[in-house]
This record gives sequence, C-alpha cells and structure tokens, in this order.
Amino acid sequence: MLAGLLTVAAYVLASLGRTASVPVDLAPFLGFTLGTLAVAHVVTRRLAPRATPVLLPVAAALNGIGYVFIARLDADRAAAQATWTALGVAGFAATLFVVREARLLDRYRWTLALLGLGLLLLPLVPGIGYTVNGARLWVGLGPLSFQPGELAKIALAAFFASYLVEKRDLLARSTWRLGPISLPDPRSAAPILLAWGVSILVMTSQKDLGSSLLFFALFVVMLWIATERAGWLALGAGLFSIGAFSAWSVFEHVQTRVRIWINPWPAAAGEGYQIVQSSYALGTGGLSGTGLSLGSPQQIPAAETDFIFSAIGEELGLLGTTAILVAFLVMIGAGLGIARRAQHPLDKLLAAGLTTIVGVQTFIILGGVTRLVPLTGITLPFVSYGGSSLVANYILLALLIRISNDNGRQAAALQEQL
Amino acid sequence: MNRQIRTLGIAMMVLFGALFAQLNYLQVFRAESLANHSGNNRVAVRDFSSPRGEIRTADGVVIARSVPVDTPFERLRQYPEGPLFAHITGFFSFTFGTDGVERTYASELSGRSGDVRIRQLGNVLADEPQGANVTLTVSKAIQEAAAGALGERRGAVVAIDPRTGAILALQSFPTYDPNPLSAHDQKAVRAEWERLTASADKPMLPRTFRERYAPGSTFKVITAAAAIERASELVNKDYPVLKTLDLPQTDQGLPNFGGGSCGGTVPNLLRVSCNTGFAQLGIDLGAEKLAGEAEDFGFGSIPPIDLPAAARSVFPDAAAFRRDVPALAKSAIGQQDVSATPLQMALVAAAVGNGGVAMTPHVMGEIRDPQGRLIRSADPSPWQQAMSPQNAALLRDMMVGVVASGSGTRAAIPGVTVAGKTGTAQTTGDNAHAWMIAFAPAEAPTVAVAVVVESQDGVTEATGGRVAAPIARAVLAAALSRQPPPVD
Repeated sequence: MLAGLLTVAAYVLASLGRTASVPVDLAPFLGFTLGTLAVAHVVTRRLAPRATPVLLPVAAALNGIGYVFIARLDADRAAAQATWTALGVAGFAATLFVVREARLLDRYRWTLALLGLGLLLLPLVPGIGYTVNGARLWVGLGPLSFQPGELAKIALAAFFASYLVEKRDLLARSTWRLGPISLPDPRSAAPILLAWGVSILVMTSQKDLGSSLLFFALFVVMLWIATERAGWLALGAGLFSIGAFSAWSVFEHVQTRVRIWINPWPAAAGEGYQIVQSSYALGTGGLSGTGLSLGSPQQIPAAETDFIFSAIGEELGLLGTTAILVAFLVMIGAGLGIARRAQHPLDKLLAAGLTTIVGVQTFIILGGVTRLVPLTGITLPFVSYGGSSLVANYILLALLIRISNDNGRQAAALQEQL
Repeated sequence: MNRQIRTLGIAMMVLFGALFAQLNYLQVFRAESLANHSGNNRVAVRDFSSPRGEIRTADGVVIARSVPVDTPFERLRQYPEGPLFAHITGFFSFTFGTDGVERTYASELSGRSGDVRIRQLGNVLADEPQGANVTLTVSKAIQEAAAGALGERRGAVVAIDPRTGAILALQSFPTYDPNPLSAHDQKAVRAEWERLTASADKPMLPRTFRERYAPGSTFKVITAAAAIERASELVNKDYPVLKTLDLPQTDQGLPNFGGGSCGGTVPNLLRVSCNTGFAQLGIDLGAEKLAGEAEDFGFGSIPPIDLPAAARSVFPDAAAFRRDVPALAKSAIGQQDVSATPLQMALVAAAVGNGGVAMTPHVMGEIRDPQGRLIRSADPSPWQQAMSPQNAALLRDMMVGVVASGSGTRAAIPGVTVAGKTGTAQTTGDNAHAWMIAFAPAEAPTVAVAVVVESQDGVTEATGGRVAAPIARAVLAAALSRQPPPVD
C-alpha cells in the first residue's frame, strides 16, 4: 500500500515538474498501480500466507520508481512497462499457484537444465534470434520479442540447486592436492568447468559480458555454499581471471570496456560518451537531485534500461540512489534470511542462489554505471525498462516467497509439536 | 551451509558499501566539478529552458518574455519590440550567453536569486522557482521618441532622470534584433552572430555606454565648472575676441569653429561655444584643476550602471600636459585625447541640473515575483559630487543661455526653460560628431539627455546645434510630456 502511494506520489511530482499540472491520467494510473499491487498482495496472502511480508512491497516500490522514471523518459515505453508489470504480477501469481513447494522442483531437474540451456542459447538460433546494441540476446516471434536469458538464469539456478544438493558430498571431497592447496577431484569438478565453458560460450557468441559474469558468479557461489568448501571459490576466482584475461586479450570490445572504465574522458565524445554522461548525471544530481523530471537524464543513451540508476541519481540525488541501495539490501537481507531459515538444503540453496542473482546483478550494473567496475550491460532488477527482466524477477520473487512460506509453515508445525 | 550464507551476506554488504562509497565520491565529493565540467551542458540546458521572468518598460510594455514551445529547450525567449530595446534587454542565447538586463538580472529573472527563492518557500508545489519580473525605468514612449529622432543615423541617445539616475531612454543605432540570437536552432543562431559581428556598422555595440567619442564642445561645461569651482577669478575674466588662438610650443593656431571671432567672460564663451576663449581658459586653469574637475564628474571611473561592461570615459592625467600646453588647450575644448561615452555626458548634464550631484545611473525600476510581491526596487544613490549646489546653479544659468540665444537654440521648447550645450567634435577633414547635452526644466530638471550623431560621410555642416539639438529637443519634450510637473 505504502509502495503504491509512493509510486503515485512520485508520478504526480514528475508530471508537476514537467508541466506544472497534475497528470490527467492520474485516476486510472492510481487504480492500475494499486490494483496490480492489491492482486499481488491478495495472491500472496492466499497462496503463501506465512511468507515474509517484506519482499513484495520492496519489489513493488522499486518497480514503481522505475516506472516513474521510464514514464518521464519515454511515454511509449512506460505503457509497455505497465503491461509488462501486469504480466510480471501474473507470472508471480502463476508461480505461486503452480509451485506449491519449492522442493518439488527437484523432480524437474533435467527439464529445468534443458530449459535453461535452451533458453540461453535460443538467441543463437538463426531466424528468430537477433542482435541489439551488439549483443545477441533477443528472440523475436512475430510482434513479441524477449530476452530468454532472463528466464534462463532462474531455471539454471533451480537446476544448480537440485543438482548440487545431491552431489554436494561428492564435490566436497578433495582428493587432489597441489602442495598446500587441496582441490576437488577433477571428475567432480566437471560441472564447474562446464558452467565456465557455457559462460564463455555465451559471452563470445552473444557478446553479453554482464550475463556471463552473472551465471558464472551464481554457479560458483552455489557450489561453495553447497559444498562448504572455500576451495571452489578459489578455483572459481582462478577460472574467472583466466576467462577475463583471455577475453580481454582476444576481444576488442572487452578492451574498450576496460579502457573507458579506467579513463573515459579522452573518449568522452566516443566510446566513453555513455559512462561520461552517467557521471555528469550523478554529479549534477548531487546530494538531493535536480527534482523529478527537472534534470536531463535523457542525455544518457539507454537511460531507461541499463542506466536508469544514473537517471535516478540525477533527479533524486544521493538520497534517491541511497534509497535504492537500501531497498536492494533489504531484499537481499530478506532473501538470505529465508535461505538461512530454510530446513531443507534444496530450499536453502535455491533461496541463496536466487538472492545471489539479485545481489550480483544489481552490483554489476550499479558498479558499472558508477564506474566502480567495468561496465557490463545488464538490467537493474525491477527498476529498468525491460519486459523479460521484469517478468523473470517477479517469478524469482515468487519462488523466494514460496520458500519463505514453507519455512513459516515448518516453524509453525515445529511449535505445535513442542 | 548457514556459515556460507552469512559470509555471502557480509560479502554483499561489502559490495554495496563500495557502491555507496563510490556514490558519495560522485555525488558529493566530485559533484560540483562534474556538474560544471566543460562537457556537461546540463546546468546550461536547465538554465536555458527554465521559466524566466518578463522584462517590462516603465509604461508597462512587455519587451522580453518566455513562451512555451515544442523544442527540447521547452521555452523560447521572445522580444516583442524587436530591435527597439535590444541594447537594454540584451539577448538570451544558448551558444553566446547573455547581455544587457538579461545578464545583469539573470538570477532574478531565472528565479535563482536568494530573495526570489525565499519568497517562494511557501509555495511548495512550485518545486522549480518561477522567474521574477523586472520592470525597467526606461519607458517605451521616450525610447520611441529617441529612436524616431535619431532615425537611421549612427549615434546614440541617453535620457536620464537627474533626480534619481533612472535611465529613461537608451537608444543606439545601428541596432539588432535579439530574437534570432535567442532562437533554438543553434546553427541559425551562429550564422546570425557571424553576420552581426562581421558588420562594419557594429550593430551589437551599445554606443550609449560602451563606445567613446571625443566630446567636443560639450566638454566646455566641465572646463567652465572647473573655473567656477576651482578658480572663480577666471569666471569674470574678459577673454579677448580672437579668430585664432596662438598656441605656445607650436606654430599651429587654434581657430574658432567656422572661422568666427569671439571672446568675453565665461558665460558668453559658453553661450557661443568659443574655442579660443575656452582653450585659453584651460591653459589659465592648468592641468591639475581641469583633470580634477573631469574626475569629479566621473571621468576615469566606470559609471556604476546596472548594464554589463560599461566603458569609462577618459581625460588624460595632469602629468601628460606638463610639457604639452597645446594638448591642454585642445583638451579644454574636448578634443585631442579626451573621450567620453554618451552616458557619461548625460551624467554631466544631469549633475549640473541636480545641484552638482550625479546620481547612480540604473535601468532597473523594480523586481516583483510572479505573485506581484516586491523583491527589490531601485534605491537612488549619489555617484559623484561634482559641484556645490550654488556653483551648479551658476553653470546651469550659463547653459540656459546656450539654448536661449547661443549655439543650441534648436533645442528650445516653448514654455520650458532648457539648459544645454552643443558640441561638434571634428574627426577627419570636414567630418564631425555632432553632440548635444541638455536638461529641462532648467530650474528643477526631470530629464537630462546626451545625443551624439556620428560623422556622416558627405554631410558637412553637421554641427551639434544643427543636427543633435533637434534630437535632444524631441527626447526632452517626450520625457516632459510623460512626467507630471513637480508639485511645489
């Protein structure tokens, strides 16, 4: 409810700043926003009554702030985003409805693996896959287009969780010693090598640095949590270094990314334009921002997708960007809390994995637009414009809420026994 | 597994902590340098497209306003009167910045000044400050009279209220239209700028306060003032009637204008604008007294007018004349190295009319916020004390003689006592700048003027009395008809 009001208030303010009048479509907007949220809320109360009450409002607030900025930047895209929000909430409801217990996903392990890989590689299929901004991530079917990779990461996280829970003992055994370092058995290391290979494949063929980094980080983290062996982290870091270094030496676009990360100013009119404009936006915003719709974030290319955080930083200042950071931290904290409280290892691992997706993805893009790390394009969960991303994130949210509900039920059952 | 999950949580905290630190670096520590970075036009775009107050004349005519348009800049600055007030309002260009009132009162017009902001605090919903409206002291009626009287002759007209320093008209020709410079298509704006700056006529030069001319015989007012203030024994000295004054240190003589003969006491010398008499008076006064008086009238200082980049008028240092008596003689009649802006000469007339005090010149009358509440208003203050009131009255009476029966009769207005002084500053050959300074009603002036018409090719006999006096008369008459006579 509060998230809804926040969104509507921001929307009205944005319009006031632009035209000094209350938007004419206020009533339908109010109805739509509150209606969508009410549906999501009621579905949660019905299908997962014992779930944590934190996640949905935080996600809704992020979604709402994102929507306000998209509406302020590009009215056509705002209409599309509203539709996608509705679809996202539908996906959220459907997930809660279909997945009555997260552990049941175990039964569909290989289906999920195939689905994930299939979705991931779908853009490479000639005829339906196509390239936007140099990255081959898109699938077009008639008038519909989407990024299947967004859904793939959830399917793969579920597959990883189910696979690793079964094989965790095997993978935890270290039979391979190299001086003081103990490494896992090469045979059981096969999955991580496979994941690494797939990430490299995705990166090279689709030129999507952000997603491959996310997949890789996700898998290594899940492997480490499942096996409780820090050796996997070391191996992952090593493989990451090798992968990153070879990508840097082989691909020019990777070199460019690194160069404009270290110093974008000489290329401020060329390759560094976007990141320089992002810095300008954040700097101009300062502490309290220029005010909604009173800045010029439209000067940043892709301001409503990858760079929406910079747009927020320009118009809402450090206060706004900090609020976004806090919102994500609350979401991550809630997600990891669910993971810790989960009784079953599969629930635990899945919740941790899904939370890792949100956390790492947020860090990759926010670190990129603030020039903390080299920029690798990826959406900011719930905030950026993008249908596939929004729907995928609502499904992810539904899974976390489902696990949270299972926890609550078990805790209640436990109390009854006592 | 919980230990790993906790570690993951800490790792996330660290990553987000790093993000927060980086955000502080960008949005606080480096915010100012990023916001004002040369490649960052956000502040410029915001200033250019934000609401901006109107500029109005004293008689209520809107001469600059912002209208909403459908371009990325959102608002277009318009000057409904075209070139008439160009040198007062200035222009408002994205590429070339601003000039005139648009520059001087930029923070008030854009609503970014502290005064305007504080008053808007109550209006929370207007999250962007609305610009305040600036009302000038210039009136359209007097400005039109000045523009009409000067016509298409190169020159300048300044009208000022001697009592307050309020500028009533400020006409400079050639002029320009500020609208094309304030347009949004920057390619067209640049083309117009090139055209205007390349023109030999210098249409963007406000000749009223940024151009200096030899003041010619109008400077004799200051020479006369120097005698009255600093060497009263010379005022009633009877200067011989001469056709040409023999100058020491040279075989060149200094002739009267048009080859006439003249002489007598200072009042008569001023009335007929006698070169030989005033040149000798200058020599008799000496460089220190003449330079000191010029300084008292404001020469050597930039008049503190609220328009950008006013020029200072020049009278050479006394030391420069020590070995050059002919230069002193010529400077005493406003030639040689003396140069003055029309604004400065208007201030000379105004000071004589206002009991010896030149008031600070200003074009801003008052500034009100969009709700009509007063933010600032002009606060008249003295600029230069040039003469004592008694001495100023003496000089005034001499100047009345100029218009009553001397060289400036064409400035006379029936029923009104006009005081004035003509000037004809020779440039090359027979060409000359024609000058007139005047004020009226002489006994309690409400308007003072300075007129200069630049030398025109092929036009000889362009004396101040013939060419400039009628313009002065027209502007004085227009100003007097606008102002009710003072109540005794």
